[in-house]
Amino acid sequence: MDRRDFLRTCGAIFAGGVVLAAGGMLTTKTKGEEGDVFWQIDPFACTQCGRCETDCVLPVSAVKCFHANKVCGYCDLCGGYYRPSVKDLNTAAENQMCPTGAIQRKFVEEPYFEYTIDESLCNGCGKCVKGCTSFGNGSLFLQVLQDLCQQCNECQIARVCPSNAIQRVSYKDAYKLKDHA
Amino acid sequence: MTSKKIKWITVGVAAFYMALLLGWHLYDPSSSFKEAVPGADNRPQGKTRKADEVLIGEFFMKDSTNAPQSQLTGEWPCFRGPNHDNQAISAQPMKWVDGDYSVLWSVETGEGHAAPVISAGKVYVLDYDERMSADALRCLDLESGKQLWRRWYRVPMKRNHGFSRTIPAISDGLVVTIGPEGHVMCCDKETGDMKWSIDMKKRFETEIPFWYTGQCPLIDNGVLVLAPAGKDTLMIGVDVKTGNTLWGTPNSVAFKMSHSSVIPMDLGGTRTYTYIGVGGVCGVSAEPESQGKLLWSADKWQPSVVAPSPLQISNNQIFLVAGYGAGGALLQVDKQGGAWNATIKESYKAQEGMSSEQQTPINYKGSLITILPKDGGGMRERLAIYQPSDLHKPVWTSAADERFGLGPYLVVDDRLFAFKEDGELYVYALDNMAMKLLKKQRIMEEGIDGWGPMAYADGILIVRDSKTIKAVRVASL
Repeated sequence: MDRRDFLRTCGAIFAGGVVLAAGGMLTTKTKGEEGDVFWQIDPFACTQCGRCETDCVLPVSAVKCFHANKVCGYCDLCGGYYRPSVKDLNTAAENQMCPTGAIQRKFVEEPYFEYTIDESLCNGCGKCVKGCTSFGNGSLFLQVLQDLCQQCNECQIARVCPSNAIQRVSYKDAYKLKDHA
Repeated sequence: MTSKKIKWITVGVAAFYMALLLGWHLYDPSSSFKEAVPGADNRPQGKTRKADEVLIGEFFMKDSTNAPQSQLTGEWPCFRGPNHDNQAISAQPMKWVDGDYSVLWSVETGEGHAAPVISAGKVYVLDYDERMSADALRCLDLESGKQLWRRWYRVPMKRNHGFSRTIPAISDGLVVTIGPEGHVMCCDKETGDMKWSIDMKKRFETEIPFWYTGQCPLIDNGVLVLAPAGKDTLMIGVDVKTGNTLWGTPNSVAFKMSHSSVIPMDLGGTRTYTYIGVGGVCGVSAEPESQGKLLWSADKWQPSVVAPSPLQISNNQIFLVAGYGAGGALLQVDKQGGAWNATIKESYKAQEGMSSEQQTPINYKGSLITILPKDGGGMRERLAIYQPSDLHKPVWTSAADERFGLGPYLVVDDRLFAFKEDGELYVYALDNMAMKLLKKQRIMEEGIDGWGPMAYADGILIVRDSKTIKAVRVASL
């Protein structure tokens, strides 16, 4: 092995090691374990101010809408799905509250509909949560999706949250789910 | 480098950028977009909802599952209270609260004037949720204001001095409501379970008044009495337990629905349902053998807009009032042989005597209490007492600075509570011929259009303005 090959091999090993170490750290972090801490939203303190959408350091916020199926009323006239004073109760874009169409609904049986959230589309704006909370029974709520969260030392959303709803929580409280309350 | 090589490199670079440009133009970034169109929710064909389709009582939600069972027993079960006279008489001496009244709770509502009723520690109000364009019957805990359950249905409508208007009626374990568009709903008062419904506009071709339905339901001995005043039907009696129609009164007088409510009266020994419609006043028999029969009517006094309900002032006399310049009238109803005769004995403009624009006056021990309308001359909007013998000259009026607008008033034992439309509560000690101001207290900062009637039970007075309901402790138990 000449000097050039030797250096190339060492460089490759180092780079590979860095990639593996970083991957390993991320994997560990995502899975979590006792002793780890996470940023999470208290859904009962959240006021749906809209800062979660705009202040997260990620291009698309790590905050997503969650749906507690056990809490849901399965209403046709859903305050989280439909815009205020909606004209027609159908799935046309102009009737929907969600600006990205992240809430899908399916007919179950008269007069019930099941609602699901497409996390890849949700931007954490909280408009649906506000609608559901103010008229319905609050089955929609915001949570930090831990798979996406960078776990910044100082969460940018927590800094601006007007109700101090975002706090560091332990591993067992990594999610504050309404249907597990 | 040779010129040939330079030429090929130039051509290659140009071709590369041309390809990039072409690709940029041909690439469709929205190819993966999905249109959000009607029908994506798999709703079965034929079950498409039309924009104006109303399914009365369609939705229900229980808000609190662990509310403690209230020990309170007080009742204010319908418009104008248990005796239809806007007075609450307690069996025990009242223990009035000294000093400032405490506000027990405050609940936001949709814009409107619908007032609550009280039954066994629960408050019921037919609110209008503007966000969801829905009539919503809300059941609240009387002591905490905590919402226990809601039943609602979608009724898109436009704001017209707010939305909500009416007061529910409670009887036989049921609560009955009439929505601003004439939708009648009956639910179990404890569980909120839907029992039955009537769409007066569809069934009777009722023409809903310009400022929406103000008629409050009347339940009399298990019979719900409604005045749809539609194309063919003036009044109906409905079995409140089943929703079945028991009797109907043909609309031979061609009255239309007003904002007034049906009031039961005993006229010359005959129990009568009295109603002021647009077109005149009428009396319908409530007697078992002739239920639903039109006994009498009078069309000599027929304001185009009537909100107050008729007020009985003697065995055969009824006092009528309306706003917007209509003033007042005295109606006398006599039975001679088998025939009834209804005569307007006198009528006058608002500035000429006792009148009221929105609230129904109170007959307190033979004296008539009213708030004069805004077109009542120099005494406009003042509280006043009249004697039935002289409806033109008050025996007492409130001070010049005690003006109440369209605010409500009610009597509890020997006190009159008057709620100024901007949110200030006045309390008077009552005498037949006069009142004495005991205290006044601002309940709502910058209250707006506090027109909804008050309700009282168990020492708690409930007041509202156009967007808030508040409960005030005025007496201890």
